[in-house]
Amino acid sequence: MAQFLQQMVNGLSIGSVYALMAVGYSLVYSIMNFSNFAHGGVIMFGAYFGFFAMTLLKLPFVASFALAFVGTSVLAVVIERVAYKPLRERSAPFLYFIISAMGASIFLENIIIATIGPTFRTYPDVFGRSSISLGSVSIGRLDLIMFVISAVCLTGLVLFIDKTKMGRAIQASAYNMKAAALMGVNTDRVVMIVFALGGLLAGIAGVFFGMKYTVYPQIGNITTKSFVAAVFGGLGSLPGAVLGSVLLGIIETLVAGYLSSQFRDLIAFVILIGVLVFRPTGIMGKTTEDKA
Amino acid sequence: MRKRNIVAAAVVALVLASCGGEKQADVIKVGWFGALTGDQAVWGNNEFNTVKMLFEEINAAGGVTVGGKAYTLEAVGYDNKGDAQEAVNVVRRLTSQDKVVAILGPNASGNAIPIAPILESAKVPDIATVATNPKVTVLDGKVKPYNFRVCFIDPYQGAVAAGYAFDVLGARKAAVLYDVSDDYSQGLREFFIQNFEKKGGTIVADESFKSGDVDFRPQLSKIKAQNPDIIFMPYFFKEVALSANQARELGITQVLMGGDGWPSDQLISMGGAAVEGCYFVNHLDYEDPDVADYKARYLKKYGIETELNGYLVHDAVVLLVDALKRAGEPSGEAIAKALESADVKGITGRIKISPQTHNPEGKDAAIIKIVGGKYIFQQKYAAE
Repeated sequence: MAQFLQQMVNGLSIGSVYALMAVGYSLVYSIMNFSNFAHGGVIMFGAYFGFFAMTLLKLPFVASFALAFVGTSVLAVVIERVAYKPLRERSAPFLYFIISAMGASIFLENIIIATIGPTFRTYPDVFGRSSISLGSVSIGRLDLIMFVISAVCLTGLVLFIDKTKMGRAIQASAYNMKAAALMGVNTDRVVMIVFALGGLLAGIAGVFFGMKYTVYPQIGNITTKSFVAAVFGGLGSLPGAVLGSVLLGIIETLVAGYLSSQFRDLIAFVILIGVLVFRPTGIMGKTTEDKA
Repeated sequence: MRKRNIVAAAVVALVLASCGGEKQADVIKVGWFGALTGDQAVWGNNEFNTVKMLFEEINAAGGVTVGGKAYTLEAVGYDNKGDAQEAVNVVRRLTSQDKVVAILGPNASGNAIPIAPILESAKVPDIATVATNPKVTVLDGKVKPYNFRVCFIDPYQGAVAAGYAFDVLGARKAAVLYDVSDDYSQGLREFFIQNFEKKGGTIVADESFKSGDVDFRPQLSKIKAQNPDIIFMPYFFKEVALSANQARELGITQVLMGGDGWPSDQLISMGGAAVEGCYFVNHLDYEDPDVADYKARYLKKYGIETELNGYLVHDAVVLLVDALKRAGEPSGEAIAKALESADVKGITGRIKISPQTHNPEGKDAAIIKIVGGKYIFQQKYAAE
């Protein structure tokens, strides 16, 4: 029983890591209908921004954190302007966007390798390594803080999209970009805001990742799993992305803990494929457009 | 039109220059490959830097005399990013385009195993550095004619770890966490389990992950529930640091033990207190007087400490130079033949290549403990 509770805590914590990334994917997908594979690269930059703000600039944690997510917001918008906007203006097929996104992702990884180098870097200790024990279950401090901040950010995002005028413009553009433009929505601006929001979440995710798993140029690769989680939850749906991520985290943990860690990914992904066979749009997806 | 002339002239000049270069060349090209980028880049860069440094020193001292003629050594290095497919590609390039007579590296078993067919068709020998999997030099009981190495092998390393854990540390229940996608990790796990059980111990948990994973808590929680005396972690320092930190977060206080994938400056900076008091099996003792000179030269030239790989690639160079001198001619076949009967003293110990296995026989392992963020040599340990 103690082990089961511990495994649920592990699963929730892994799931919340996936959720922070999956929401960024879903957000961009809902507007642009393509998967922004450069997201992993932006997360990696977030980790480096936070790291250098703390070690080189000697800023306190909160300031470094803010610097990281402002930095990645700007970076995400720049990537959009350089890599996607020209395609958007020519209404290129979505495949071109994906290729452009992969290019951006490879570029981001290699520019770090070439300039900063491939070595691993460790964040200074902020919250302490010790964990909080509840009976026989231990919860990492960082996990707890990460869980709370993720929840706050995701709630904030949902409120922004539901309650503000810009949020409604995003919803309208997600529904139909052309029609929204005809109704006077500045869709170019909407795209920019969406990328800025995606970048902001990437920055938050990046700093937490860096603290949890150290900083290195391939850290963005973990996004593969969160991309799967986003598809599983229903690409384009924010609650779906969160639900898909948490479920993936828990399924993985339970499979590793009770069936076999050797077969963890195999079994977890067979379950996901099974769900997608019966619900091709994912758990909470609405449309049946091309998922890419 | 004018531009084109200039380009044509430049091409001609280049061709002439390269022809001229070849004529005056009494150069022996030696290949090196390993990861210069990616997860294992720390070690790849360390190896290649060592090779370049040693070649410069050898050339400055007059080069190597082969068959009565002096040659200088030139290192041709390529990055395989730690990838097995890329390893095959770069070896093909080294043997067919660069026409090297021998290859040094790689450090990873998974990269050293698939290159054997290319070496055989090109008749170029390879000396692996820390590739400890048995299959690097021997496959299905037959020795691979062009694969050699300067390190001891996994069965030996696994046996040393199991023997030390059981006999010296007194562990009776052991748990293993390993990387299921890595030949090196699989090999160490297999021979640790085999030897630990042979001694009378029990394996209470045998868990795995896949390289690239960053979260090990599900597996560690399962291990914790079994309450082992020791946890064997036969994989590389990055995952070691992550899993050690996560183990401590989960309240696992047991001693962790590993193999030669552990030692790295980064293990201490990343793992910190989590790896304190833990043990690993290594190829050498860093404080051994035999290694001090190389260590100091490397530090002076590059401004950073050498890693484990540097010591082994140093001995690979020693072994190669010895074979070159005895080969009579700078050809891959002659060098391979000379390597089979090599018996040299390297800085990591005596390297006596066995013609049956192409492994250095009877090399002692060093047991190292992490105390106060330092690698403290405990004892030389040989498994039976």
